[in-house]
Amino acid sequence: MATSVQRWWHKLVWPWSPLSEREASEAIVRNLWLHWFPAKVSGRSMSWSYSLWLGTVAASLFVILTVTGVMLMFFYVPSTERAYGSIKDLQYAVSFGRILRNQHRWAAEGMVALVFIHMARVFFTGAYRGARVLNWLVGVALLLLTLMLSFTGYLLPWDQLAYWAITVGTNIASEAPVLGPTFKYLLLGGHFVGQQTLLRFYVLHVFFLPAVVWILFAYHMWRVRKDGGLAAIEPLRAMRRAEPKEMPRSKSYSLFGLTPGTSVAVMSSMGLEERDQVASSPNLTRRMILVFLVVFNITLLLSLLVNAPLEGPANPSVTPNPAKAPWYFVWLQELVASTTVHLGKVTISGGLVGGILVPGVLLAALILWPFFDRSTVSAEGVWFARERTRQNVVFAVITVAIIILIIVGMYLRGPYWRLYWPWSPRPVLPRVL
Amino acid sequence: METDRRTILRWLGKGSVFAAFIAQIGAAARAFFPNVLYEPPSTFKLERPEDYPQGYSFNSEHRLFVVRAANKFHVISAICTHLGCTVQWRGTEFDCPCHGSRFDANGNVIAGPAPRPLPWFEVSLSPDGLLEVDSAETVPQGSAFTTPTEKA
Repeated sequence: MATSVQRWWHKLVWPWSPLSEREASEAIVRNLWLHWFPAKVSGRSMSWSYSLWLGTVAASLFVILTVTGVMLMFFYVPSTERAYGSIKDLQYAVSFGRILRNQHRWAAEGMVALVFIHMARVFFTGAYRGARVLNWLVGVALLLLTLMLSFTGYLLPWDQLAYWAITVGTNIASEAPVLGPTFKYLLLGGHFVGQQTLLRFYVLHVFFLPAVVWILFAYHMWRVRKDGGLAAIEPLRAMRRAEPKEMPRSKSYSLFGLTPGTSVAVMSSMGLEERDQVASSPNLTRRMILVFLVVFNITLLLSLLVNAPLEGPANPSVTPNPAKAPWYFVWLQELVASTTVHLGKVTISGGLVGGILVPGVLLAALILWPFFDRSTVSAEGVWFARERTRQNVVFAVITVAIIILIIVGMYLRGPYWRLYWPWSPRPVLPRVL
Repeated sequence: METDRRTILRWLGKGSVFAAFIAQIGAAARAFFPNVLYEPPSTFKLERPEDYPQGYSFNSEHRLFVVRAANKFHVISAICTHLGCTVQWRGTEFDCPCHGSRFDANGNVIAGPAPRPLPWFEVSLSPDGLLEVDSAETVPQGSAFTTPTEKA
């Protein structure tokens, strides 16, 4: 009895504490969960200071979002009459429901931030070059999907915040040339944000978009392997390739007896040597679990301390004053509010310029950037390579500009979207209705 | 290339199966464009003309302003032409809370990102004596509906 329990226990845990190098490699190959890791990993790929583990943090947040999201689905009713009430129930009637919703909310905002910061890391380390271009494009798609998930999830509580953010957002979509109004009609399932819209956004949010993200995420990870691991090892790999290879000594039989000679040198497909690498299990897996746990605990702590916002129920006749988008879209709100162009008699709405053209240009830049990057291999996998200074400055300036717009939108905009200093008094407005 | 009857029939067979597949995808996509909308009709009735005070009255249900000057009435949309928020009447002008557009008393843009003036809707008197608005029909600024003198 005891031995069979021991055997089962061993079956479950043995990959986590392998007794030999060989067992560690086999664990990776044979284990369902571990097979997508390489058997060996270089110290530099695993280091905290190179990648900052940002991709893993973003992925951890997505796991948290999936699990808390599925749990929220048990309580949420996607109907205009009951959506708001079901969120209120989660806040006040369901045991620990508030924490569940808070964690979903903070993990979601964290994921938007982390996916972007992860992208910034990849940019600043020049890690999208060469064969990794395709994975950069997958990453850009994942960033867009993250934003779409936020946007669709934003409507679900059916409060004032939700209703007006989606009204403004879908009106921006309708400013797109030619297909804009059709796209808005398709997205809303009508002309106004209503029951059809809620249902469509719900299905997109809980099934369609997460499914696409999971598929692309799997592909993203697979490509990391196929592209030869993190770009962090490129400098080391180049160094190893340049080193003269010492042929292993061997002895063979000749006509005159034993003759010393050399045998073939075998290099790993990674282009690294044994001494550059350690077994993925448990070195990599241990860190991964640690990162996940830290991320989980931070979101949990936030959820205990700060409640997810919930305003009054959606009211189509009264717009809150000021009506603000969530922080990661507020820079777009700043843009749409200030980019209406008058050219003689022709007026181009800020919805088109700031809501579609500017973000469209930024997106095109992200997609096309790797193809115009002329830096050399020596700038690959290195933070702030001198060769790439100009590119890094451009990226940093755009990022800082977006952050400034976010700060202005979040803290300096008062009623009627006018500018106020954070400390200056804002007019108290009579409630409309 | 040999084009005997067998080859042609085979391609017709494969082609029709593929065409049916594509058509089915098209049909599935078409389902997402609703044919029936459960939205309020664009023509609706308001109060009786004499129920409105002089000046600007906000109708929250239909998101519009009924403006009365003596016995002349006109109706201005309260939906901002920028991105669809509800504008507020501030005594001398309309202000939008979302992106700061400002419109004068006739709905013309004074400032902010709004690209067009607030539209005026057609007003008439329904047979049962109520103001009737057709929000699908815009009328030029300055048009007004004058109530018959015995009503006002």
